[in-house]
Amino acid sequence: MNSGVGGIAASLAGCLAAAAFAGADPAAGVAHARQMIEAHQTKPVFTAPGAPFDARACAAGRKMLSIPNNSGNPFLKGIIEREIAAGKEVGLTVQEWQNQGQPNQWTQGVDFAIRNHFDIIDLISGIDPKTLEPQLRAAAAAGVKTMTSHFYDPAQAVDPLVAASLPVNFNAVGKLLADWVIMRSGGRANVVLVESDEVPPTAPLLRGFADEIAGFCPACRIVQRVNVGVTEWAVKIQPSVQSALLANPDVNFVVPIYDSMSQFVVPAVHLTGRQSGVKIATFNGTPFVLDYVRSGAVDMDIGESLDWIARATVDGYLRAECGLPVPKNIGVPLYLFDAGNVKDAGVPAGYDQGYGGDYLQGFRSAWKLR
Amino acid sequence: MPAATRADEGAGLGRFALLGVWAVVVVVFSIAMPGVFFNWNNFAVLAGSQAPAALLALALVIPLTSGDYDLSVGAVVTLAAMIIGVLNVWHSVPIGWTLLIALAAGITVGAVNAFFIVYFRIPSLVVTLASASLISGIVQWLSNSSTISGISPWLVDVTVNGRLFGIDFAFYYALAATALLWYVLEYTPAGRRLLFVGRSREVARLNGINVDRTRSASLLASSCLATLAGVVYAGTLGSADPFSGTNFLLPAFAAAFLGATSIIPGRFNAWGTFVAVYFLSTGITGLSMLGIPLWVTNVFNGGALLAAVTLSQFARGRQETDLG
Repeated sequence: MNSGVGGIAASLAGCLAAAAFAGADPAAGVAHARQMIEAHQTKPVFTAPGAPFDARACAAGRKMLSIPNNSGNPFLKGIIEREIAAGKEVGLTVQEWQNQGQPNQWTQGVDFAIRNHFDIIDLISGIDPKTLEPQLRAAAAAGVKTMTSHFYDPAQAVDPLVAASLPVNFNAVGKLLADWVIMRSGGRANVVLVESDEVPPTAPLLRGFADEIAGFCPACRIVQRVNVGVTEWAVKIQPSVQSALLANPDVNFVVPIYDSMSQFVVPAVHLTGRQSGVKIATFNGTPFVLDYVRSGAVDMDIGESLDWIARATVDGYLRAECGLPVPKNIGVPLYLFDAGNVKDAGVPAGYDQGYGGDYLQGFRSAWKLR
Repeated sequence: MPAATRADEGAGLGRFALLGVWAVVVVVFSIAMPGVFFNWNNFAVLAGSQAPAALLALALVIPLTSGDYDLSVGAVVTLAAMIIGVLNVWHSVPIGWTLLIALAAGITVGAVNAFFIVYFRIPSLVVTLASASLISGIVQWLSNSSTISGISPWLVDVTVNGRLFGIDFAFYYALAATALLWYVLEYTPAGRRLLFVGRSREVARLNGINVDRTRSASLLASSCLATLAGVVYAGTLGSADPFSGTNFLLPAFAAAFLGATSIIPGRFNAWGTFVAVYFLSTGITGLSMLGIPLWVTNVFNGGALLAAVTLSQFARGRQETDLG
């Protein structure tokens, strides 16, 4: 079954099941969770984001400036490098605005795009358009369209200055994390959540997690929520998780919602001597965390292919630029890596391995490339 | 009673004030969380996990004693951890060699800092700020801005897997470094020279002390200790990332200044710093265990530092200190 369609079908089934579940026995919740997990452990199959179109003709003469919120972030850097490569395939000029995460550098980037007559400003997975309102207004007035990808959840309102958005269903990510926890604990999870509330995707993701737990696991409990700002991860995650584990001996799952947090969660579990009783489940598919999955330090990591994200972004933006319908979702499948399949991600793990190559030919067909 | 004598008595009482407050904090949390906070496992975990922070704070004590700031120590932690990660994981270099290369890199940073500070007479604040930024860039280049996991289990074994009385070896490294630094600063001519240079470079020079050499040695020692902090940090995490070490710089300064109110009030000192690191982390651990939002820990850190320094000064009759 196509994993994207399978995921949607499983989600719909989940919603209906949740409504009927209240008061049911825990085994039914575990069965539901297993069904959701299995739907995301089949190799992803490409689903066309829309009708095929002549991407070369659409991209001819167009330029896109990608502004990450920090060029030091390997996730964003990886997407942009792949956007540049995908752009070359269709003739779209893609350039990165390198920066060190300072908002004044982002405003400089927008100004650069306006002065150099770029067609698209790509705020890829990080910069909140709200923080650049005057600059994006000036860009719109100059005919430069601002687009975002992998930033909003479909339930979140898109900033009116954004011409096109390719959202990610972060709510579904939260539900999947909860399903894993429910399944692996046999419906008896006591969870410590590690989160960064200032990051916009956090709210829909946590809502999904909490809803799934409330709907399908009457015996599960979110014991403690540890909210640590992104800039303080290194200093605060480890001691806070240690304290949470020491204060709550019944905890059997730690869920750092972004997988780079695992670097500090893994030693916390280790130092408290709880490796045998506490599992870690997380999201992003960052290579070093997939290596943790291989070594057994992390139980599961939900991954997305960066190359797939890059191609879906170029595809969606070009459709918007050329007046075609824009997909309602970025359409990049979520794929679960655990001990059983993590070797597919490479040794050591890479960003694009393990997801299959079906999408490569899929996009070429969607773009009418030979 | 003469003012100086009153101040001396105040200092006598004040030297153990932080230890007293620490005990009060432990008692309060133990009452608030009966059976949870006051147990050996909790303190053992606390002791081991704070070892890199303690080593970094000790690294700062050396140049602060000789009157210099070293803002590059956080970057050196990252550099050392990342050299180990890149060489050991990506290039399969035996862990022993990576430690030596990391140490050589740390010494090089100290030597470069010393060269610009001592030879060109550029303020240490400026030089080490620049070198911190330079190292940060080099580390990002070395690592391609990636986190690297899978560092040799041997390093993990000798830092956090190996335990004595239930406490990770890492803690004993920090304890040994504290004892060594205390001995050097208090009982050796080199330690006394550092102190004299820190109090007044001109007076020290007139007394025949080679000020430039003393300052250079302190910067080299600081980088070496920061490298050790980086090694222990890499062993604690079993991984290395290009950014996180620098986040420990300000907490390390806070611990060094807080430590200067204790054991030997008015002077940067090893045991005071050691106590300060564990006092602050005890507070943070207790607050975290109570489930209090983490912004409160920043308030605790800042408030504790300000209160301790103020009380210490009050006890000492508001004498001038060499704390900068």
